[in-house]
Amino acid sequence: MERRAYYRNGTLPWLLIAPQLLLVLVFFYWPTAQALYWAFTLEQAWGGGNSWVGLDNFLSIFRDREYWTTVARSAFYASLTTGLSMTVALTLAVFVDRALKGTRLFQSVFVWPYAIAAPAAGVAFRFIFAPESGLVGSINELWPGIWNPAINGFQALAMVIMCHAWLGIGYNFIFFLAALQMIPRSITEAGAMDGARPYQRMFDLQLPLIAPTVFFLLIINLISSFTDSFGIIDTMTEGGPVGSTEVMVYKIYFDGFKGLDYSGAAAQSIVLMLLVIALTFVQFKWVEKRVHYN
Amino acid sequence: MTRTRLLSAATTIAALALATAPAMAQTKFEFWYGLSGDLSERIQDMCKDFNASQADYEIVCISQDNYDANLQNTIAAYRANKHPTITQIFDAGTLDLMLSKAYIPVGQLMSENGYDVNWVDYFSGIASYYSTSGGELLSMPFNSSTAMIYYNMDALAKVGFEGKPTTWTEVEDVARKMKAAGYECPVAFDPAGVWQWYEQFSAIHNQPIATKGNGFGGLDAEMAASQGLWVDQLTWIKKMYDEGLFVHKSKDVGETDLDAFAAGNCQVFSGSIASHGTVTAKAVEGLNWDVAMLPVLEGTERTNSLVGGASLWTLQGKSAEEYKGAAAFFAFLATPEQAEWWSTVTGYIPVTNSGFEAMTANGFYAAAPYKGRELAIASLIATPPTENTRGIRLGNYASIRAEMVKTIQDVLFNNADVKESLVAFDAKGNEILRRFQATYKDAVLP
Amino acid sequence: MIERSPIFDFITYATMTLGLLLVLTPFWITFVAASQSLQEVSNVPIVLWPSSHLMENLNEAWTRADLGPKMINSLIVAVGVTVGKIVLASLSAFSIVFFNYRARMLCFWLIFVTLMLPLEVRIVPTYSIAANALLPFQVVLDTLGITGLVEMLSGLRIGLEWNLLNSHTGLILPLVATATGTFLYRQFFMTIPDELVEASKMDGSGPLRFFWDVLLPLSRTNMLALATILFVSSWNQYLWPLLITTDRANYGTVVMQLKALIPDTNGLPDWNVTMAGALIIMLPPLLIVAFMQRWFVRGLISRDK
Repeated sequence: MERRAYYRNGTLPWLLIAPQLLLVLVFFYWPTAQALYWAFTLEQAWGGGNSWVGLDNFLSIFRDREYWTTVARSAFYASLTTGLSMTVALTLAVFVDRALKGTRLFQSVFVWPYAIAAPAAGVAFRFIFAPESGLVGSINELWPGIWNPAINGFQALAMVIMCHAWLGIGYNFIFFLAALQMIPRSITEAGAMDGARPYQRMFDLQLPLIAPTVFFLLIINLISSFTDSFGIIDTMTEGGPVGSTEVMVYKIYFDGFKGLDYSGAAAQSIVLMLLVIALTFVQFKWVEKRVHYN
Repeated sequence: MTRTRLLSAATTIAALALATAPAMAQTKFEFWYGLSGDLSERIQDMCKDFNASQADYEIVCISQDNYDANLQNTIAAYRANKHPTITQIFDAGTLDLMLSKAYIPVGQLMSENGYDVNWVDYFSGIASYYSTSGGELLSMPFNSSTAMIYYNMDALAKVGFEGKPTTWTEVEDVARKMKAAGYECPVAFDPAGVWQWYEQFSAIHNQPIATKGNGFGGLDAEMAASQGLWVDQLTWIKKMYDEGLFVHKSKDVGETDLDAFAAGNCQVFSGSIASHGTVTAKAVEGLNWDVAMLPVLEGTERTNSLVGGASLWTLQGKSAEEYKGAAAFFAFLATPEQAEWWSTVTGYIPVTNSGFEAMTANGFYAAAPYKGRELAIASLIATPPTENTRGIRLGNYASIRAEMVKTIQDVLFNNADVKESLVAFDAKGNEILRRFQATYKDAVLP
Repeated sequence: MIERSPIFDFITYATMTLGLLLVLTPFWITFVAASQSLQEVSNVPIVLWPSSHLMENLNEAWTRADLGPKMINSLIVAVGVTVGKIVLASLSAFSIVFFNYRARMLCFWLIFVTLMLPLEVRIVPTYSIAANALLPFQVVLDTLGITGLVEMLSGLRIGLEWNLLNSHTGLILPLVATATGTFLYRQFFMTIPDELVEASKMDGSGPLRFFWDVLLPLSRTNMLALATILFVSSWNQYLWPLLITTDRANYGTVVMQLKALIPDTNGLPDWNVTMAGALIIMLPPLLIVAFMQRWFVRGLISRDK
């Protein structure tokens, strides 16, 4: 939509936009440019200087088998988190959309996880899953030693994924419900007249109609699982045991700030940036298409 | 050089006005340290005492929770020119500091400010850790310790062992008997305890951790974990773990090795002599325990163990007044009363010969609760330092330590092959070392 | 409802109840554990019914993690980010939508691109910029030769320095520097009919007057929604405060304190205190979301990132 009525003024629009532009330049473009620069140098931890090394930082992370394990783990983490969270949220949204009596109560509670800080959920889930506590840990009474995420990497990863998926339920639910409610009544009613059972209508009518939302959420969730996992992992496992919950963001933090290797961390940041940009790009392409439809 | 601080100009002027008002202003300076809990309280006491002892300086002591965080935060602050005057850096960060050009050597600091310190009095093992190859001490030895082993004497007695085990074979033997006698956790083991289980083990058996005298000979040293006795020792630890004689105790499972020992849940654990005070404080009623030098392998001769803990570094870029204050603080720490107090309340060893002799002479080590702490000194000075026991001078060593933690976890939890894992560890460690070397490619070891 | 289907209704309720359990269980366990004594919380299996120690655990958590000043810091940061972003976003969106200047679209894209890269992936360099936020300008002055020129003329050397580590400004500004708000406002402003602008022009009022008298009142709903989202997300920030705050005692936020509450240092598995702390820290954003739900749901959806 193009606007026809504009104000004319030489300096005012610049004054209005200047603060935001300045902030973005200082806190976004400059650091991003610097990350690029650091990724091609070896930076001394104490700031004593740096030297240009070309692509060495990238080559050394790409040659590192552990790095690829981390990438694969992050991809696994992202897909599972996204899948779990979206499935649960979609199921709940579909049923809430039937608007039976008392649904409002359910609806408002389903949004709650959105409000919780990732590390707070991390701490709560850590207690729930702690081998020594009396919740999930109770199972050890029956089969001693069967549950111990402190030494079992697979269990640790599962625990972190469940926590992250739970956190995403609220956000996904809101979007799914909104999309479902935007489906015109007439369509579902027509379906009902044709004699379609309620569950048939769900699969045959509603799901295809909210496909754009599914796709949108898919990308958003993937990006968020790649980037937002830090708080959960830091409070639950710190990347352990044996690095089995170390995902890309955590490795960047660990190598850069704990390992004092700013350059290696910068190179890893660039790779993650490219990944996120690629995902966003796919989304934009798609959103554009959808706009054309409308 | 004039600095124009655009936004804080007004406040700066206001602050200047305030600062010049009182005629005899105290010089304030900061000291960051990496200890928490009980030990942090003791440092706060020490700072209060220093401030009360004189009127010219005021030290502000800030805890950064742990050594890692303190190093990280000090670096961050240094890059931002907001660093403290004094910072406490742990053993593993020593080389990082040495090459940083960010410090003032403590010898220079003291002599410039008119203090005559008898550096020869410092234990050679401690001094050499923080000195240049030419023997110049760069940082102030502060909290020094070494690794020990703690035994529950009642449990030993119950399985019929007299005295304290001195070899790992004896440890295995008593652990097995304890298990048979119904003790669920004979030995507490924390895979994060790389310092006591790996580094100190290597030292007392005169095994290199890295070539070139653990890095003292140059930045091109290479890791040597997969070549010595450590391979057998880790294999043995794995066996003990699988038999349930070593039990995993760490913060990850909700109870640390020390806590498990102090609560009487585990009968043996290995840790720093600095924990002596903590165990005393935490031990359950009636726990009959004692401390001993780390056991050795059957049929080997003990060499000296490594000094652990941390030292105090004076950072660049502060005013002459602040350096005067820092020197005064160091001089305060070195007074015999202060050194003895610190050693008493914590368990850290006295860092000078004269301090140790004075404490021995006045009977400090003769009776409980301090009896046994002298063994730490005995362990440290068991032999004159060799190539392999002078210390560890490897770049970014904290990261290498973290890799060893992963390696041990991998062996214990995932049944990874010991030899293969250690070869992989060496490769990974070498990568970190080469990266460090490349970062400081024009630097020479001081 | 279109037709009755008792079986399907039953399935609906059953699924929603399951969902309710799934969503509420972590909250319930946090609450229950926070109300138990050390002994009760260490029971295996644990009793899932509240006990009577809630107040003392809350108290203990409050003092142990020093939550008083941290709450104030969190509040300052959350309110700062919320207000800052709303002000900046509405102004810049106004500039982009209602003025016609050549660089308009360029500016929009410059701001919009920031949506692509979350703070987490550029954390290392953003951190270094916080040490001296004026560094970019210094570099610009240096490369343009202005520094040298000024030094030659006046003998003074320009050294711009603005350290943001350990300050509320440092906690707030980088979080403000993203496009979420701008985008939302832009989308909303685009829906304002041209006639409204024309009418306002006819009345002889200028752009600022139009912004203040017409646009702001119209966008009140959007503002509430945006405020909720921003408050919650900035309250919940973790990695950024963790890095930029070395002086935790004075500038730490509550969420950073969570880790300090996990039992490990004090030797007791006192999860009851940990959970009490988590409860306190979860509560403010949860209350806001619960009470503002109607507004913020709308905001979230129209954001359509």
